[in-house]
Amino acid sequence: MKAKEMERVMLLMFPDAPLERDETGLTGAQWSIIVPASSIRDAAKAFDGAGFFLESLTALDFEDTFELVYHFNYYEPGSRVVVRAPCGHDQVPPSICDVYRGAIWLEREVHDFFGIKFSGNPDMRPLLLPEDADYHPLRKTFGKVSAYHKRKMIYG
Amino acid sequence: MAEQDITQASQRVFSLNLGPQHPSTHGVLRVLLDLDGEYIVKADPVIGYGHRGHEKMGENRQYKQFLPNTSRMDYLSGMLFNHGFVLAVEKLVGIEVPERAKYIRVIASELNRISSHLLWFGTYLLDLGGFTPFLYTFDDREQILDILDSVSGSRLTYSYCRFGGVTSDIDSKFIDMTRAFLKRMESRWTDYDKLVSKNIIFIHRTRGVGVIDRELARQYGVTGPNLRACGVGFDVRRSEPYEVYDRLDFEVPTGSKGDALDRYLVRFSEMQQSCRIIDQALEHLPGGEFIAKKVPQKLAPPKGELYFAFESARGLCAYYLVSDGGPDPYRCHIRVPSFGNLNVLNDVLPGTLVADSISILGSIDVVIPEIDR
Amino acid sequence: MSEITSSDWFRVILGLLIAMGFSQLNALFLVWLERKVAGHIQLRPGPMEVGPHGLLQTIADGIKLMGKELIVPLTADKKLFVLAPVLVFTPVLIGFLVLPFGPNMVIRDINLGVLLIFAFSTFTVLAILAGGWASNNKYALLGAIRSVAQNVAYEIPLLLAVLSVVLMVNSLRFSEIVIWQQNHFWSIFLQPVAGLIYLISATAETNRAPFDIPEAESELVAGFHTEYSGMGFGLFFLAEYTNMFIVSAVATGLFFGGWDGPFGGLGIPGVFWFLFKTYALIFIIMWVRWTFPRVRFDQLMNFSWKVLIPLSLANLVLTAVIVKFVR
Repeated sequence: MKAKEMERVMLLMFPDAPLERDETGLTGAQWSIIVPASSIRDAAKAFDGAGFFLESLTALDFEDTFELVYHFNYYEPGSRVVVRAPCGHDQVPPSICDVYRGAIWLEREVHDFFGIKFSGNPDMRPLLLPEDADYHPLRKTFGKVSAYHKRKMIYG
Repeated sequence: MAEQDITQASQRVFSLNLGPQHPSTHGVLRVLLDLDGEYIVKADPVIGYGHRGHEKMGENRQYKQFLPNTSRMDYLSGMLFNHGFVLAVEKLVGIEVPERAKYIRVIASELNRISSHLLWFGTYLLDLGGFTPFLYTFDDREQILDILDSVSGSRLTYSYCRFGGVTSDIDSKFIDMTRAFLKRMESRWTDYDKLVSKNIIFIHRTRGVGVIDRELARQYGVTGPNLRACGVGFDVRRSEPYEVYDRLDFEVPTGSKGDALDRYLVRFSEMQQSCRIIDQALEHLPGGEFIAKKVPQKLAPPKGELYFAFESARGLCAYYLVSDGGPDPYRCHIRVPSFGNLNVLNDVLPGTLVADSISILGSIDVVIPEIDR
Repeated sequence: MSEITSSDWFRVILGLLIAMGFSQLNALFLVWLERKVAGHIQLRPGPMEVGPHGLLQTIADGIKLMGKELIVPLTADKKLFVLAPVLVFTPVLIGFLVLPFGPNMVIRDINLGVLLIFAFSTFTVLAILAGGWASNNKYALLGAIRSVAQNVAYEIPLLLAVLSVVLMVNSLRFSEIVIWQQNHFWSIFLQPVAGLIYLISATAETNRAPFDIPEAESELVAGFHTEYSGMGFGLFFLAEYTNMFIVSAVATGLFFGGWDGPFGGLGIPGVFWFLFKTYALIFIIMWVRWTFPRVRFDQLMNFSWKVLIPLSLANLVLTAVIVKFVR
């Protein structure tokens, strides 16, 4: 099972990273690991080598931190895994666009909505917003917001 | 444009704009092409003309209030998106759905899938210059829209699926109309096959055109019929079965070369497989309730997150919901298949002829509003 | 060479006037026919509002077109821009002079009739190029260039196919060809390959689908008549339908027996048979348009140069060999 193999690989690469398995299948992924933002590239390279594809890349805005959420999946049942990378509000995480070419657009979208710049991404033009947009709509400090929490309020 | 000296354009790369107003119904897409004569050197799709802020809306509305938004993202698979959202929230909150409702939702979703593919079929041929199949497929599609209209009240953007079931039960009129439609389509498949699939001009316009190989598809996260045409039999209905798909018998058609002709044939077979699914679902349709009895008006899902994937007409689509225990989601992200499907053109278009770019664009079946959200 | 008398002049001028009038009526009819054929193939009735079964629709469209403003782009070559639609339409009218409508109904039965028609119909190519160039528009020029390449490529098999029939009949005079067919068989049975090549090339010559890339709307090039509005556009349209008629009439005369009816005509005058066959061929051309998708441009050129021309050359040589043995 691909997900089990990658679990072993990840634990080898990041021995003290918190890894949560989801036995019940209620979250939609097999397991979820938190890695530091600076080592996303190594994690992505490991997944690329194993033949996974980058299913989704998005971000969450908490009071204390941003959190980048990468979903990797394989073409077999039950192979989805989540890699999370906390990233400060002014931090510039590395880009994985040379590992997964589709990440160029995904990172552009995250930059549009949250203002997170990715170093190494050759194209940081707005993707969905107008070319001259200087606002970042999905931040919880923009527009109408119904809730703004710290991370541990949701994930404990 | 008027002052450009066209006489010296032989080796110089000049840029052409496949403008935002497009002759076919992809949506508002703009592709900046750099051309060297008739060959494309660089292709840069520009999107965002239809950005409406659905994800921000998702954070400011209760789950029930976000339901109509879901149909409007990909308006051609409105029922499928609706269905997926409802399934995601039901899983998050823990609502049991009666059997009859599950079957009804599967029938409605598969009808929607067929109607989306039919529209793609007609407009693809229209792009290639064959004007007639467009009207035939729209005639077929009208039957589907009438069927879904009779039970949900709307033709294109539905809010038919609700938490716990569906809004209203299907009656014998719905079943009769669906059966009549399935019967009618049996003869239509042979018509389309003879008129289009075996047409030598069509085959020459699509064979070997716009080849997406497996590695490229993996790099960009291409899913759906585009991926299956490369030979990867990945379908969410098989890998993460939801509703009653694990009880129904259907094939997942795949291609081999990943060119436009394979994508066409895969979608064509998918329509026929969907008819098979509907047929079985109608046979096994149980009696009972069409909606769960005690669904709370104000949903208060537990804290945590959920990533729920389903198969829309265009590929793997997913709702990523993060809940803080309150009535509104904390984050509502939608992973749309057309995002990767369009992105792959950055690498597929260079090296092809301009005349082929229309054929390739049509064959990947993107709906731009779904990318823009 | 016989003298040209004043009655000859009178005949020719009258004939040209009749030709102009006939071509207008023809275009009127054909536009309506096209829309009805398209409609019924697409499971819908087509125009039904204006006049019984939409018969007066074309007149309404014509009046609308005449009322539109004639816009000449600022940077366009004015003289050429205005001249192009006229050039595309007028030389084709000369072709009407030699068409054999009936046994004695040829306006001027020149002994080089066939050659005359093709010589004058080649003007269309120049006119399209003039229109595309004069528009000073990137897309119009691209459309015009494609059209010229297509026309030149398909002119050759067209003429070679016609040459095969001419060789068989041993005359370029139209009425002689029809009489020969009356006495022997219709050429289509004796020269089926040439007939097929002629029909395909004729469809390409008139820029009809599946060879209508020069005026295709869904490709990014909008066609050589992008910048034309109102009556300028109308004249291009008129020219297309007149061309279609001429090309089908020539096919009728050369391959399908002209005014010859089956079983000695059945008492119906030859004119009726001629027109019936011509319009049947036009119907087939329309039928093909609404059935097939468009051919890609390089595939179109390949088809002509690599398939049609060798085939028509082989047909010509074979015809020559057979004719030599028979005579």
